[in-house]
Amino acid sequence: MKRLLGVALGILTAIGGFVDIGDLVTNAVVGSRFGLSLIWVVAVGVVGICVFANMSGRVAAASGRATFEVIRERLGPRAGLANLSASFLINLMTVTAEIGGIALALQLASSVNYLLWIPLAAVAVWLVIWRVKFSIMENVTGLLGLTLIVFAVALFLLKPDWGNLASQAIPAVPAEETGATYWYFAIALFGAAMTPYEVFFFSSGAVEEGWKIKDLIQSRINVLVGFPLGGLLSVAIAGCAAVVLLPAGISVTSLSQVILPVAEGAGKLGLAVVLLGIVAATFGAALETTLSSGYTLAQFFGWSWGKFRAPAQAARFHLAMIICLLVGLGVLATGVDPVLVTEYSVVFSAVALPLTYLPILIVANDPQYMGRHVNGRGVNVVAMIYLVVILVASLAAIPLMIVTGAGA
Amino acid sequence: MILGDLLGTPVHDDDGVRLGRVADARFVVDGAPHRLMADARLLGLVVSPHSWSSFMGYERNSLTQPWPLPQLLRWRHRGSFFVMWEDIAVLGDRSVRLRPGYTAYSPALDRKGQE
Repeated sequence: MKRLLGVALGILTAIGGFVDIGDLVTNAVVGSRFGLSLIWVVAVGVVGICVFANMSGRVAAASGRATFEVIRERLGPRAGLANLSASFLINLMTVTAEIGGIALALQLASSVNYLLWIPLAAVAVWLVIWRVKFSIMENVTGLLGLTLIVFAVALFLLKPDWGNLASQAIPAVPAEETGATYWYFAIALFGAAMTPYEVFFFSSGAVEEGWKIKDLIQSRINVLVGFPLGGLLSVAIAGCAAVVLLPAGISVTSLSQVILPVAEGAGKLGLAVVLLGIVAATFGAALETTLSSGYTLAQFFGWSWGKFRAPAQAARFHLAMIICLLVGLGVLATGVDPVLVTEYSVVFSAVALPLTYLPILIVANDPQYMGRHVNGRGVNVVAMIYLVVILVASLAAIPLMIVTGAGA
Repeated sequence: MILGDLLGTPVHDDDGVRLGRVADARFVVDGAPHRLMADARLLGLVVSPHSWSSFMGYERNSLTQPWPLPQLLRWRHRGSFFVMWEDIAVLGDRSVRLRPGYTAYSPALDRKGQE
């Protein structure tokens, strides 16, 4: 019974934890501009993150090493440092976007300018990282994030023409968009679903919670059930935008437009629930990304790390996270639009993805680390297909960004 | 000189023929014992004729999965070899020179991770 509860809790937090500011903004932007014609990318991204998280979780459980410990060991210091710099900077960008997201959601709830909420949000994130136990932190934000199901509820309440909506789901470039913007947003959506921090966090979390081989089944269920259901939330967000915003000719540029369909479909109560959900989801993701920045640095440089240690025992790890939060605060204090930061962060996430994916794929095949838990043939075939997809997305992202003027 | 400066340095034999670049250094942990770990001793250098980019560990083992990555990386580092510290004559800033009659070992390790 306890085991069953554990599995249920794991799945629920995986669903609630799947959506972050990147998914919210990108899915809404895509829904409002392309309808459901890009929805296949969410499926591609969800399968990809399942493959990636499954491998990195297995590496962490079998070898006791988290992602960046593996990268440092396997790539050596030179290639490892280039890798760290890119991954770390993009993660920092995501931290900034998530904190901005918390502040924007609080602005919508309170009408107090988001700039005033930013320091509060950052301090709250820091306090939770400093004080709250890892499992409580993960479960509470994950479960509260589940309230984003209101997007699915709102989609039903909007009573869309389901046949028409389903016919939109065929991949095709809408008349008023170009092929380049279509593929640019395909990469953005892919990057939003497969953000690298999810994997840093997932593998480091496995070490934090002391996973052993016998816990792998549970983690596999969490991933293979939780992430696809989380992906359905993404689809619901895009669906809401496609039903309300696309016909009205509104292309999403702010968080208030993301939740507009929920207000229309589910009224004031829905609005209250969606704001709670967004705050929980962005707060949870802010915790995960901030921890990830600490994890990546500490694992690369060999500092002691982890929330299972008292902060005094992992001083550099905690100091690094404080500095990251301050940098994020500084960037947001310039008044840059957090939604814009988010849009860039998901694309750069796609650019940096091969840097972490490749070493994990290699180590997951190495019996010296993995014993008999190396990748099976089937996993390797899928993983190699994804390596190609990830490489193509990574290489195409920046040229497409330039050609399309970042999707304008 | 730090190890980072050594990586990528061209390697020549005694006649000045260029053999490749330093791709990696290999240590054995058999020095003076300490509480946690013994001191490391530099056993020798891995020299690669074509590229000094990362081997991603494939020079050490005979793994073939996931196809075709190991095959590609091995091809990129074809002809790479390991020279013992005793066979190195000069360790300069610009180049490393080997002694005449040096022995080029295979960079692979056996299954226990030993030379």
